Amino acid sequence: MREIIVLSGKGGTGKTSVTAALGVLAAGKAVIADCDVDAANMYLLMQPEVLKKEAFFSGELAEIDPEACINCGMCEEVCHFDAVHQDAEVYDINPLRCEGCGYCEVVCPTNAISMHARRSGDFFVSTARTGDPMAHALLDAGADNSGKLVAKVKEEAKKLANQHQRDLILVDGAPGIGCPVVSSLAGANYVVLVTEPSASGLHDLKRLVEVLQQFRLKAGCIINKADLNPDQAEAIRSFCFENGIEMLGEIPYDSAFTAAMIQGKTIVESDNQLKQIMNNIYISIQHKINVL
Amino acid sequence: MRIAFTSVGTNWDAQIDPRFGRTAYLVLYNEETEQFEAIDNSSVQADAHGAGTAMAQRIYELHPDVLITGNGPGDTASKALKNLHMRIYVEAHNMSLKEAYEKYKKQELTAL
Repeated sequence: MREIIVLSGKGGTGKTSVTAALGVLAAGKAVIADCDVDAANMYLLMQPEVLKKEAFFSGELAEIDPEACINCGMCEEVCHFDAVHQDAEVYDINPLRCEGCGYCEVVCPTNAISMHARRSGDFFVSTARTGDPMAHALLDAGADNSGKLVAKVKEEAKKLANQHQRDLILVDGAPGIGCPVVSSLAGANYVVLVTEPSASGLHDLKRLVEVLQQFRLKAGCIINKADLNPDQAEAIRSFCFENGIEMLGEIPYDSAFTAAMIQGKTIVESDNQLKQIMNNIYISIQHKINVL
Repeated sequence: MRIAFTSVGTNWDAQIDPRFGRTAYLVLYNEETEQFEAIDNSSVQADAHGAGTAMAQRIYELHPDVLITGNGPGDTASKALKNLHMRIYVEAHNMSLKEAYEKYKKQELTAL
């Protein structure tokens, strides 16, 4: 079984669109895992039929028992997140502000405060419109993605791959370089980087490559909208060359990219110049993971 | 030598878990006494963040001489483990504990 993780460092480079296009090209062979759960939008392109949905719990939330509370206000005093408020003489926790640190629970003289597992979103097992199994999640407003949730999505994707005898797990990873990204890298066979020729595109790519080097992971790079800034594109090519990252392809800016997205399709499903380019990228990736 | 493995299972035939912080088990093998012990790491699955540093803490307490793992610890955990002067071998995923141990004996594993 092989795991390909698609990452970008910077958001908005076209990572999910590229992952979905790869998913369409790999139809019948892959399991799709959407680990970019802050902005889970793979489902817009994959239009999955949900088979299983379960609530996901992460972190903790304080709760005040009004019967036991003596309105002393110590919880409000110690809370660093301004999550405790007094409303009509009764103290209450604002769940959007509570970070679940448990300080209030410790100081409460009457043990009126208890910590509970916080519901932070939903987790799904589905069938994508390509017919392939898909594991994904959707966070509630204000909830944050975590290594825990990513690990769960990946674990479920692995189970699905075993069940359906698929050799490939295609993971849409989170932006940035934080905990969710590190968690998505565990067990990866190959990392596909999608970047764009902008100062922040290159900056965030560099940070991400440092993380990949820490884990000695092989990676290839796709420059999206490559013709928009030839100087930055060249800077990305040199950076990749110096750091042993293979260039997998360059996608020119083309309104067909957005047109496909608006229709809820990927760029390989309509007739345009991008289709052939994406096809070639897919073939290079296939080649890379077969020789790994 | 006391050798620690990140492992998906609890015996010699189990695969090395590529994950460091979120490994399913940490297996400890004492070469002198031939004692083999699998420590369940499932409690970490409840932690949203900080799995790597929690495992570094655990390793610090157990203080094995050698660690054999897959992707290897991340940046923060690596810095913490440096102080232990422990030998760390990586890229042992896709091997069973037994295979990884044999390769370790033949000095064929990648040292960090």
